[in-house]
Amino acid sequence: MLHIEQLKFVYHSQSGLNTEMLFNLSAAPGEILSIIGPSGGGKSTLLNLIAGFLPAQSGIIRIDDKSVQNLGPAQRPLTMVFQQHNLFPHLDLFTNVALGINPSLKLTDDQQDEIHDALKKLSLDGLEKRKPGQLSGGQRQRVALARALVRRQKVLLLDEPFAALGPALRQELIEILKSLVEQKSMAALLVSHQPEDALLASKRTAFIHQGKVCAIDETSKLLNNTAEKAIREYLGSV
Amino acid sequence: MNFSHKLLTGTMLALLFAFPALAEKPLLTIYTYDSFTSDWGPGPKVKQAFEKQCNCTLELVGLEDGVSLLNRLKLEGKNTRADIVLGIDTNLTAEARETGLFEAHTLSIPESSLPQSWTDQIFVPYDFGYFAFVYNRELLKTPPSSLKDLVENPDGPSILIQDPRTSTPGLGLLLWVKKVYGENSDKAWNKLSERIVTVSKGWSEAYGLFLKGEADMVLSYTTSPAYHIIAEKDERFAAARFTEGHYQQIEVAGLLKSSNHKELSKQFLQFMLSQDFQNIIPQTNWMYPAFMESASLPDGFSNLIDPSPSLLFEDSIIASKRKSWVNEWLEAMTR
Amino acid sequence: MMRRQPVSAYWVLSIIGLAVLTPMAGLLAVGRLPGFEPGDLQFWSSSYIRRVLLFSFWQAFLSTLISLTLALLVARSIAKRGDFPLRNLLLRLFGLPLVVPSIVAVMGIISVYGSAGWFPVGRSLYGLNGILIAHVFFNLPLAVRLLLPVWQAIPEHYDQLAEQLRFTAWQRWIHIEWPTLRENIPGVALLVFMLCLTSFAVVLTLGGGPRSSTLEVAIYQSLRFDFDPTQAVVLALLQLMLCLLIAVIGLSLQKLPEVEISISVNSQAGAASNRLYHNSVILVTAAFIGMPLLAMIFDALRGPVIDVLSDNKLWLAATYTLLIGFAAAFCSVLAGWLLLRTSSVLANHGKIRQAKWLELVGSVVYVVPPLILGTGYFVLLSQHVVIADWVFPIVILINSMMGLPFVIKVLSPVMRKNQMRYDNLCNSLALHGWNKWRRVDWPLLRKPLGLAAALVSALAMGDLGVIALFGSADTTTLPLMLYQQLGAYRIPQAAVTALFLLLLCLLVFWSLERGLGGRKDVTH
Repeated sequence: MLHIEQLKFVYHSQSGLNTEMLFNLSAAPGEILSIIGPSGGGKSTLLNLIAGFLPAQSGIIRIDDKSVQNLGPAQRPLTMVFQQHNLFPHLDLFTNVALGINPSLKLTDDQQDEIHDALKKLSLDGLEKRKPGQLSGGQRQRVALARALVRRQKVLLLDEPFAALGPALRQELIEILKSLVEQKSMAALLVSHQPEDALLASKRTAFIHQGKVCAIDETSKLLNNTAEKAIREYLGSV
Repeated sequence: MNFSHKLLTGTMLALLFAFPALAEKPLLTIYTYDSFTSDWGPGPKVKQAFEKQCNCTLELVGLEDGVSLLNRLKLEGKNTRADIVLGIDTNLTAEARETGLFEAHTLSIPESSLPQSWTDQIFVPYDFGYFAFVYNRELLKTPPSSLKDLVENPDGPSILIQDPRTSTPGLGLLLWVKKVYGENSDKAWNKLSERIVTVSKGWSEAYGLFLKGEADMVLSYTTSPAYHIIAEKDERFAAARFTEGHYQQIEVAGLLKSSNHKELSKQFLQFMLSQDFQNIIPQTNWMYPAFMESASLPDGFSNLIDPSPSLLFEDSIIASKRKSWVNEWLEAMTR
Repeated sequence: MMRRQPVSAYWVLSIIGLAVLTPMAGLLAVGRLPGFEPGDLQFWSSSYIRRVLLFSFWQAFLSTLISLTLALLVARSIAKRGDFPLRNLLLRLFGLPLVVPSIVAVMGIISVYGSAGWFPVGRSLYGLNGILIAHVFFNLPLAVRLLLPVWQAIPEHYDQLAEQLRFTAWQRWIHIEWPTLRENIPGVALLVFMLCLTSFAVVLTLGGGPRSSTLEVAIYQSLRFDFDPTQAVVLALLQLMLCLLIAVIGLSLQKLPEVEISISVNSQAGAASNRLYHNSVILVTAAFIGMPLLAMIFDALRGPVIDVLSDNKLWLAATYTLLIGFAAAFCSVLAGWLLLRTSSVLANHGKIRQAKWLELVGSVVYVVPPLILGTGYFVLLSQHVVIADWVFPIVILINSMMGLPFVIKVLSPVMRKNQMRYDNLCNSLALHGWNKWRRVDWPLLRKPLGLAAALVSALAMGDLGVIALFGSADTTTLPLMLYQQLGAYRIPQAAVTALFLLLLCLLVFWSLERGLGGRKDVTH
């Protein structure tokens, strides 16, 4: 479903130092592949490359066997959920979700129903007229998920979406996320700072360090892989 | 006019719709100094009298003072919308002539009441007067008896004058001092500058300030007291007679080459020579009309001081020296 | 590297560049002016120019000295009495001189200190007295606003420490306050000095003759009084060099003051000592700032209100004034928005320096005073066309550039934040062009846009500078009309006109801020 091969990106830092990054990984439909690793290692860069916010030097990004490198961010069949600011503060909850279907907000009756269904699924029904400022942090991220749901894209990219939430809320949202991904058979990449999240969400997890995918393995194995020095150090520091 | 300006003006007119239909009658535009156009000046009466006989609309545009008129004209050049400039004086005529913007009047000028004969082919005189310092007799008991007395007495009266760069009386005083002091004018100005309360842009400003009591004396005309005597029945104001004599001013009007209404303009200049116009002058502009027997002057004019000897530079000398003399004045004033 | 970087900013840059360089070329081509002689450039040999230069410096020096000394006292008192009643009202009062047209404030100062005013000053207000009073009126509040945050940055612990160590007020000053202030004073002083050196309307109206002429006024006089472009250009080049010199000194300073549009005072109460003293300092300052406006309003209401308001010329001037205000606001906000659209992308992609430079270009008027630009255009155009036809394009152009620093100041933080937060989101949602503008940019930007437009329009409507150079009887704006009335010492009429202009400015400010900006604040 999502396939990334020799995806190369060179990061020019202000000090003039160039860091080269090279990624290889793939994710199957219905799978949440967790991505962990120390900050600055390239986790967010990878998502930005896939989403098209950053241009790759070379390599392959395939979604459903179609190459997407040459498409603009808006054309790629994926949805990205950010850590914060997923919602426009001046628009109500319903509109924020609706923007995901059609930016000009011309919606058919079916589409409207779909939005209401999605909101119900995420226990947001009744809050349609609320502005993001009137929602809790957990609710705001649920809205972002609802939008991902109605967009019906094959790939879901999540950039530390639960980082600002407490442990119980995180657990709850991960469960919701799992059922959504399975239902819609999306391929999801979940960048997370917490190894426990990976354990909860994913069968497989990738460890990214210094611009490379150092290891991909079953989550529990990866987290117990004390042979790899980088993983040991990372887990020790978390 | 460029397009944007036209568009703008058009919009303004439409917005305000305060303007009567101007298009029906020809519009004669005259640039003059602001005291000429004020409610108590000659402007309103002149407009009324001329419009009665010309089947036209007379627009009097009041622009600061006489020297500014010339500057404005230099700035606008051939594109000016004025047909006639009224209110520069003989101190500026040579310079005005050099601009090449004026056209000969081709009128036959009648015998004038000026002390000298009039030969200028381009400019037509309408009134004249003599510069003088005016004071309030009750407040200033012993006015200076000469220009030298005014300048050199460090405890002398405080004065209000006009800027020679903008105002014809200001320029007149500059020339007056030059006549009396010659080479030493800068020293004279330097001495005098201590007692100058302010240098205003035009005559109206300085005279207004004087009447509010801001200074002991103001640079004006020997004829100014007539206003207080006739219009206000107030005998307190007088012009100080200076033994060196008083500098003369002859005010003139001229027709512009760029005018689209030359016949109408000449008709106005002719009207300026007529008694209809001349009669308006004494009690509105408070100057001596250029074409009127002194016997016909109103009563208030008979008791005014005798300005003789009357002082006047050749206009060609002024044209060549004005800039350097004004600079000398500026330097002396700022020292 | 950068995926999307709007190029329209470079159009704006080119236009600004052209708008600045063209008149500069006009000035530098002085040798081609009719009647030019090489000797004219030797300004030092003219004792008039030497005197004007000296007076320009002298009045700017005195104005700065007085403004700054008083500002230190006042800022200290406000900082020490953080909790006094009506605090916000006072700070708003201190913001007034930034917004009130300078010519209106001059009118107010005449109403208070003129010979017929409440407290007549010396032999005459006109001259150095008047200039100093007006400059202190404008710059004291500015300096207070700049210095106050410095005071408030002093950690509370120092106060507590001083309490323990039983410092006297003098010891506090020497050991705590002065070391913090020392770094900031040169920048503030330089800014005030620059503002006084280039102040035009004040010196023009209160100067009272050639004796107290500054360079800016001398430039105006050589164009409008003498019609001597050569002298004007020589003076303008001189002024330009001075401004560049000051800008260079400014860039070499470590701390440059930031003019904030609004400020706040933390309400922590300072030491309770000397309450009476601090209260009186604050009260006297408030009176000094508030009185001219009160006196002007008072004079206006007693003045010939009907006469002035029934004059067609007033309404024509008001129409022109509004036109200039709206047009300048539109151009300035559009240019600022286009510049910032690019610079915020640059800034958020780590190219901070490029973004800074782009925004700095918008502040070019800090270095090239508007009157100098005007002189350049005047000299350039007067040889070829009728100046009067070009009044509005040029006045609008120069006023737009004067407003640009404010536009950038107001819009920049918001646009950067929005770009950082929502650009990727919009991209991934395929929100582009009109949809993006309508759904995202406009709702999030309308408040700062409204404020920026309101500031620029008020500034442009009250401007007496370029319009004095170019204006004529047919193209009079309200500030120019007010100047003519003041010049003719028709004080009662002038007071009415001043109040009318002030109300018009406030009305436009309010309607733009509210109309464009909407009522609600949109934040998370």
